[in-house]
Parts: sequence; structure tokens; C-alpha cells
Amino acid sequence: MSQDHGHHIVPVKTLVAVFGVLVFLTVLTVVLAQFHFGALEVPIALGIAFTKAAFVVMIFMALKWDNRVNATILAVGSLFVLVFISFILLDTEFRGDLSNTTETTIMDQQRMDEGLEGREPARSDISFNR
Amino acid sequence: MANPHTNQPAHVKHYFVSSEQQFDAAKMGMWLFLVTEILLFSGMFVAYTIYRSWHPETWTALSTALDWKLGGLNTIVLLASSFTVAMGINQIQRGNQKGLLINLVLTFVFAGMFLVVKYFEYSAKFEHGLFPGAAFDPHGVSHGFDYATYNVPYGPQFFSIYFVMTGIHGFHVLVGMGLFAWITVKALKGRFSAEYYTPVENCGLYWHLVDIIWIFLFPLLYLI
Repeated sequence: MSQDHGHHIVPVKTLVAVFGVLVFLTVLTVVLAQFHFGALEVPIALGIAFTKAAFVVMIFMALKWDNRVNATILAVGSLFVLVFISFILLDTEFRGDLSNTTETTIMDQQRMDEGLEGREPARSDISFNR
Repeated sequence: MANPHTNQPAHVKHYFVSSEQQFDAAKMGMWLFLVTEILLFSGMFVAYTIYRSWHPETWTALSTALDWKLGGLNTIVLLASSFTVAMGINQIQRGNQKGLLINLVLTFVFAGMFLVVKYFEYSAKFEHGLFPGAAFDPHGVSHGFDYATYNVPYGPQFFSIYFVMTGIHGFHVLVGMGLFAWITVKALKGRFSAEYYTPVENCGLYWHLVDIIWIFLFPLLYLI
């Protein structure tokens, strides 16, 4: 069958093969989830998911044979998603690291500690809320 | 039926120089929209990521509340629907209107199956008080399992994220069904041919993205 207007026709055999691969990868991800890989669980699951998504995008959505501008649009969009999640994680993963803050500065605290060492504290020197 | 002014087939609008250009413009527009959809879902995936990283044991434990067999079945169903959409486009590219129709109907049926499975999943949750948000109240024993076990700190958040993500995805499936019903009617009327099948192409692209979203949702919510 001749191709029309340069529209690439993905052969039926290719579509069937890709469907087979996708089903296999689904089974694989279910099987692997039965094991406990600890910290590797998320990367493994995501790795398989991205592979499946790549097959759908390249073959089913025919991005492989498409005008490059569409692939560029997808790539840039995905880049922004990456920026989005990275910057959020930079915040959320490090919360609570500054929970040791007080009203006085660290230098002042050290000075007060040195002043109090080996000295009988007078009433006025005792402060409960530094 | 050509346009006497532009000498192009009737389906080509006057502001396009050719059918090819019109098709490319339409497809690019759809890809731009798909990126906005990716960004929409990424907001929810980020919420999932944050809560998972803050409460990993709770997340792993509560994911057992989701039946991976039903989730897996839904994954296969959506993959099959992507396959039939791609087959439908293959058929109409070769001028086979009947082939297109069969595959459009199959896609619609698979989409319906997905929503039916989701209905059973959701009702099982609701029966045992697993609601999103403030209504969260797990109770009841089913198949020897006590649902009160899910009453843990940050349990409500897990189920809220589950319901919102699969709910908005399910809504996209429903919209997809509407789109496919629309183009099936058009196909029945013989509106598509090897020269013109742009709505089929664009609905297909939308549908593949809906499938891709679920490809990520399934392992992240159900499996790990």
C-alpha cells in the first residue's frame, strides 16, 4: 500500500510487536514488585514505566517518524517537569534541618556559655528562654 | 470536491497552503496540549513524591490496600486500547474505513472496561470507609482482613492522593470515550479517508497519553 502525503504508516507487525513488549514489561514490573529491593524499588519501577512510555510515544504515537518539532515540544515540556520536581525536592527533603534555631546568635550563645562556666550563676544570669 | 480558489481538497482551510501543512499544524497543536496535560498530572505526581519520601513505610504498607490484580488488568486493558487506536490509524491511512471503525469501537469498549473495573475498585473502598479527605473512616472486615488497620497517621493522605490521581485520570478516560464516540459517528458517516483523518490522529494522540499516565500510576500506587 502506498504511503499518502508522506504520512508514515507504522506496519501492523510493528504495532503487534510493541504491544507484546508492553504486556511483557507490565508482567515484569508486577513480578519484580514481589521482591524487596528497598531503596531500588522506585528507580526500578520508574525505569520500567519510562521504557513502556517510550515505546508508546515512539511507536504508537509515531514520534519516531514525526516532524522533529513535536519531539522538541515533548522534550522541553519534560525538562520543565524535571525542573519542577527537582526544585521542590530541594526544599522538602531538607526541611527540619534548621529546627535548632534560637533567638540569640550562635556567637552570643557561646559567649554566654563561656561566661557561665566555672562561675556561680547569679539570679540575673539565669535565662530560661535563650 | 476541490476548493476552486486554492485548488486544494475541500477539507483544507483557506489559510493553509496544503493538506499536509494543515495536518502538521493540527498535530503540533495537539502535542502542545499534551504537554499541558503532562504538567497537570506532574503536579499530582510531585505531591505523591513528597508524601512518599516523608512517610515511606506508610506508603508501602497502604499500597497493599490497592488490588494489583485489578490494577494490572486495567493496565493491560489500556495498553490494548492504545494498540487498537494505533491499528485504527493504520487502517484509515490505507483507506480501510471498516478497519478504522472496528478499531474505534474496540478502543471505546476497552475504555469502558477500564471505568467498570475502577467502579468496582472505588465501591469496595467506599464500602469500608476509605474516602478521600475528612470522610476517611476505615472500618469493616472483608475476606478476613480488618480495614481498621489502615487507620494510621498519613493514611488519609495516601488515599486522598490515590483517589484524586486515579479520579482525574478516570475523568480523562471518560472524556476520551466521548471523543471516540464522536469520531466513531463521523467514521460511520464516511467522513474519514486516507487523505483526511486528522481528528482520528489527534484523538489517538490524546488517548496514548492517557495510557501513559496510567503506565506510571499503576506501579507507583499499586505495586511499590
